[in-house]
Amino acid sequence: MTKIKLLIVDDELEFAATLAERMELRGIETQIANTGQEALEKVYFSPPDVVILDLKMPDMNGLEVLQGIKALHPSIEVIMLTGHGSTASGIESKEKGAFDYIMKPVDLTELLEKLKLAYEKRSKVEK
Amino acid sequence: MNIIQRLKTQVLPVDPERVTDELFRKKRYKRFRLSLFLAMNLIGLIPMLLIAGLGYFQYRDLLQRNELDQLQWNMEGAQKTLESFVHELQAVVNFVAHDDRYNELLDQKNLQILFDRIKKQYPYFVSLGVIDSHGIQQTYAGPYNLQGEDYSQEKWFADVLTKKVVISDVVMGFSQAPHFAIKVIKKIPGTNEHWVLRATIHPETLSNFIATIHTKASDDIFIVSRDGILQTPSLFYGNLLHSFQLNEQPTTEGQIRQMVDNYDKHILQASVLLKNTSWILVLTKEGYIHGSQWSSFRRKLFYIFAGCSIMGLLITIKLSKILTERIRESDEKRHALTAEAEHTHKLASIGRLAAGVAHEINNPLAIIDQKAGLIQDILEFGSDFDNKDKVLHSLLGIHNGVNRCKVITHRLLGFARRMDFCEEQVQINEVLKEVLPFLEKEAMYNHIKFNLNLQENLPVLFSDHGQLQQIFLNIINNAIDAIGHDGEITITSQVEGDSVVVGIQDNGPGIPEKILQQIFEPFFTTKETGKGTGLGLSITYGLVKKLGGTIRATSTLGQGAFFEVRFPLSL
Repeated sequence: MTKIKLLIVDDELEFAATLAERMELRGIETQIANTGQEALEKVYFSPPDVVILDLKMPDMNGLEVLQGIKALHPSIEVIMLTGHGSTASGIESKEKGAFDYIMKPVDLTELLEKLKLAYEKRSKVEK
Repeated sequence: MNIIQRLKTQVLPVDPERVTDELFRKKRYKRFRLSLFLAMNLIGLIPMLLIAGLGYFQYRDLLQRNELDQLQWNMEGAQKTLESFVHELQAVVNFVAHDDRYNELLDQKNLQILFDRIKKQYPYFVSLGVIDSHGIQQTYAGPYNLQGEDYSQEKWFADVLTKKVVISDVVMGFSQAPHFAIKVIKKIPGTNEHWVLRATIHPETLSNFIATIHTKASDDIFIVSRDGILQTPSLFYGNLLHSFQLNEQPTTEGQIRQMVDNYDKHILQASVLLKNTSWILVLTKEGYIHGSQWSSFRRKLFYIFAGCSIMGLLITIKLSKILTERIRESDEKRHALTAEAEHTHKLASIGRLAAGVAHEINNPLAIIDQKAGLIQDILEFGSDFDNKDKVLHSLLGIHNGVNRCKVITHRLLGFARRMDFCEEQVQINEVLKEVLPFLEKEAMYNHIKFNLNLQENLPVLFSDHGQLQQIFLNIINNAIDAIGHDGEITITSQVEGDSVVVGIQDNGPGIPEKILQQIFEPFFTTKETGKGTGLGLSITYGLVKKLGGTIRATSTLGQGAFFEVRFPLSL
């Protein structure tokens, strides 16, 4: 598996850092952003392959960030993290271009699975 | 203003929301019903009483005036007739006693001839006598031998000297037979001396004559002397020559008095003095009170009044009962509606609160999960050390704990959104499984078993998750209530044609046909007052309709009820 470049966007610092460390342990090059603004900057300066994006953040709505990322690099795949107990917001974000959604607290195996699928899809598009 | 306010609180039933005490509320309605009943009766009875009273007095007045008038006419008529009769008698005697016949009549034979002649014409003449100026009866024609009687000491003998004509009262004379006498005084021609012709007449003359003028307008008619001696027999007050006292001496104008007689009867008594006599004509008439007209009127009035009163009473009793019942019902409906709205509102608030809490807990939960995961990762990638297994085991414990919390927060979040409609992909079986834990406890306490018979791999529905939860929650809850204790609820799900069908069968007492038609109507409940709002199934019905489905209930008495909810796969 070639190196996946990942960006984790979450306002919960601890969560993002820990998840990033676990990804690194699995050989995934991971960056962190704590705000929507920071996320967009990171996407602009060093575009990742996949973004894991929290739906609810203090400065920008997750959906807005999603639209921003897609505007910068339409080929970047985004996996949404939803805190809601429903699939509704997940479906909505899918309609707006997200690759998939996953509910918090995340099951790492499930996340890795979805990450892999997203990367594969992006690779196909790249080719 | 204050009084009105107080009256209002006394009489009107109090807003049921503010009164929680059932007994107090009942008393209020009872008092309202009583006030209503009294007010309606008052409104009805007062005019009725007025009209009845008016009729009563008006009719009495009319009867009174009528009988007075009648008696007055009767009296006047009788007076005139009697007066002319007396006048005629006087005229006869006067005619016979011609001035210059004194000497002729002193002859017994001549007097007898005259008497016979008169008697032929007027059979009621009893005797005829000629009395000289000294009061000695010189000649006499009649049934007794009274020649030579001395009348000089009699009171009438003095009277006749001044009055020319005197009619005496009926008396028992020397002859010991009742009679009255007409005496006429005449001059003996050529002298200063007088003579008197005395004719006695049988009193039956009077009674017979009175009998002919007696009409229905009076009950009794008779003649009484000024001294209070009956001159003709009376129907009620005794026979001839009985004593009868008038309270007042009448004039020739006559008078009518209302009085109570010796027999305790209300009577009208008319009395009038007959001209040229000392006789008083008396007529009596029973008061209207004793008349059949009056008593029948009173009876009719009483029956009509009593009938109307009883009818009014019954109607007002019924009406006040119905009205109070209506008010109570509408109060209760309003109360139920408010309670339901409050309940819904409360649910929504709780939901929002739960969602907030769940969301807040979710984030730290995610951190704990990740930290534990990281530790696990480090251990797995690193080298062995003492107690590594124990640490890994503990980490697994943390992970499991987090997972359990996750289930709870997700369920809370799921329920929180039941109020807003939003479509999503829904697995009916999942919904059913989510709902059951909420009811399991109650079911367990009541020894009710759930049997699940769900078809695997049901196609996904596009519907509202929360509202579906509410639908099944309501139906299953109802089933639990219907069973009460010890029973089974069987829940099935399957695809039939292009619909997903969920069946909920209980083995409770079942629903009678009549009630079955009404169970989806709002406010219809068979639960005791205060327990059910009668809205559960109607809300369920509304939700099913909103989601494009149908709901149907069937039941066999004694074998439980079956609810079937059907949702189309493609809308």
